[in-house]
Amino acid sequence: MDLPQKSSARSVGKPRRTGSNPLRWALLTPALLVIGLTVIYPLLSSFVTSFRNWQLINSPSPGGFVGLDNYTRAFTDEGFLNSLKVSALYVLVSVSLSLILGLGIALLLSKPTRLNTFARALLIFPFAVAPVLKGFSWRFMLNPEYGVYAKMVGTVIPPLKGYLWLGHDFSALLTLAMSEVWGWAPLFALMFIGALGSIPSEITEAARVDGATGWHIFWRITLPLLAPVVYIVALLKIISALKMFDQVVIMTGGGPGNATQTLYYYIYQLAFRNLDMGYASAVSYLLVVVMGLFAFLYVRTLLRGRS
Amino acid sequence: MLNPILRKRLGQGAEILATLAVIFFVLFPLVWITLASLKNQVDVYSTRLFFQPTLDNFRIIFSDPILLGSKVWVSALVSFTTVAVTIPLAAAAAYVISRHQFRGRDTLFVAILVTQFVPAVVVAIPFFTLFRNIGLIDTPWALVIVYLSFTLPYAIWMLRGFFDALPVEVEEAAYIDGCNELQILRYVTVPLVMPGILVSAVFAFISAWNEFFFALILTRSNSLTLPVGIMTITGVRGPMWEQLAAGGMIVMIPILVMSLFIRRYFVQGITVGAFK
Repeated sequence: MDLPQKSSARSVGKPRRTGSNPLRWALLTPALLVIGLTVIYPLLSSFVTSFRNWQLINSPSPGGFVGLDNYTRAFTDEGFLNSLKVSALYVLVSVSLSLILGLGIALLLSKPTRLNTFARALLIFPFAVAPVLKGFSWRFMLNPEYGVYAKMVGTVIPPLKGYLWLGHDFSALLTLAMSEVWGWAPLFALMFIGALGSIPSEITEAARVDGATGWHIFWRITLPLLAPVVYIVALLKIISALKMFDQVVIMTGGGPGNATQTLYYYIYQLAFRNLDMGYASAVSYLLVVVMGLFAFLYVRTLLRGRS
Repeated sequence: MLNPILRKRLGQGAEILATLAVIFFVLFPLVWITLASLKNQVDVYSTRLFFQPTLDNFRIIFSDPILLGSKVWVSALVSFTTVAVTIPLAAAAAYVISRHQFRGRDTLFVAILVTQFVPAVVVAIPFFTLFRNIGLIDTPWALVIVYLSFTLPYAIWMLRGFFDALPVEVEEAAYIDGCNELQILRYVTVPLVMPGILVSAVFAFISAWNEFFFALILTRSNSLTLPVGIMTITGVRGPMWEQLAAGGMIVMIPILVMSLFIRRYFVQGITVGAFK
């Protein structure tokens, strides 16, 4: 066994053991095997399947190779192109709503008064609620006949009384987004409050002395200093929004029409309703490419922040 | 023109009102589900705040035909087993990545992080066909296997952070006292990193407990988990909201209690992708 290297005053997080070491592989191998079995194997298997024709309804084993057919088919498939559009719109709506609300909540709760401290302690709860339950509760609360939120909105804005929130293209998408934003905006707020706390108060005070208004301070000082955090949380939310599925099943089933048929939901239908495994694999690989891009940016940013 | 003192008061008043609005936004859906679970089938369609509370819904969902008890059992079995497999494997791997220096270590770590972002549909397609062929479909074990695909990478990531935060001097002192690496790991490092292990376990538990996509695909009737199970609480005219709300309470309460324990680590956990 190799000797520990010479001790330094601050050695937190320093790898200490070098050279070959049987214990290292004994500890590492089980986790790598499981990741290999549960992530790498399906990833490779889907990739191969994406080049085959496989109607599971006809045969339990995959059919012949069809080259790039499944991929070229996607770009003439109305359903796929629609789901791409829906997902892009969904990402845009849910990310911007989460950011705006989260920023608002953070600025409001950043002063450490007693009420604010109490409010901050509550911010984690919505996020931890099961997505299925988020879907059911927002569907219940926005029911045009007996939903409590629908009634509140109808009282404040009378033309929206009895509005079918899940019955129109954009409002259905907005409702789906809100059921997620309810969890994300408070979480964003928590992250922003942490970042706001690291902005030295001298900076904003100096600006105030120089005659800057609150609005100016926000745009010129607070927001630029928050920008790195905004970037990271936006990436995280984009990745999550690309996987929007649970509430689509619970709240809209993809409707009205196919207005809320997200990419994830569309792949689910191809694979587990139509049992068209080859084509579903190809479309899911297109998702992997998009997701991989954002995941790469996310991991790179986080790891850069560590070192 | 308002005088400055009055203006300041009004500003403070507006701030307090806005804070109360935030509290309302965050808590109200939880409060409303809780109230709905205590209402009868008439009151649930009214928005009155005062009604005669009843626990009937909880009795109904645990008896025939909904039998939520079996779903609670499956969910608990799947979640606990997932955690029990995830944590030892993740802790061992995270320890090595944190404490050992070897070629390819950083590449390996990044590769593990990236597997975190493989979408579940890609994992589901091969496993669905595989489990169908070998008869594992509609069993809790099928769920445990696929749940490891997202709990393990995240837990390695999170636990590495906890190991990195431990000063290595303590381990070196034990080494000088004549302990070998395995003894140090068992008697020094693991006890010191125990809070991190518990936090990671809670995150893994929550993500398994709340999981819906795999459970929807890989179960039929025998091993329905709670999130899929409550979907069956429907009548001819759609969801039976009062019973569904009661079922929702069963899904939600354990998770809300657990989130209290991981409050301080919540943001950190989400950042490393604890929940999908």
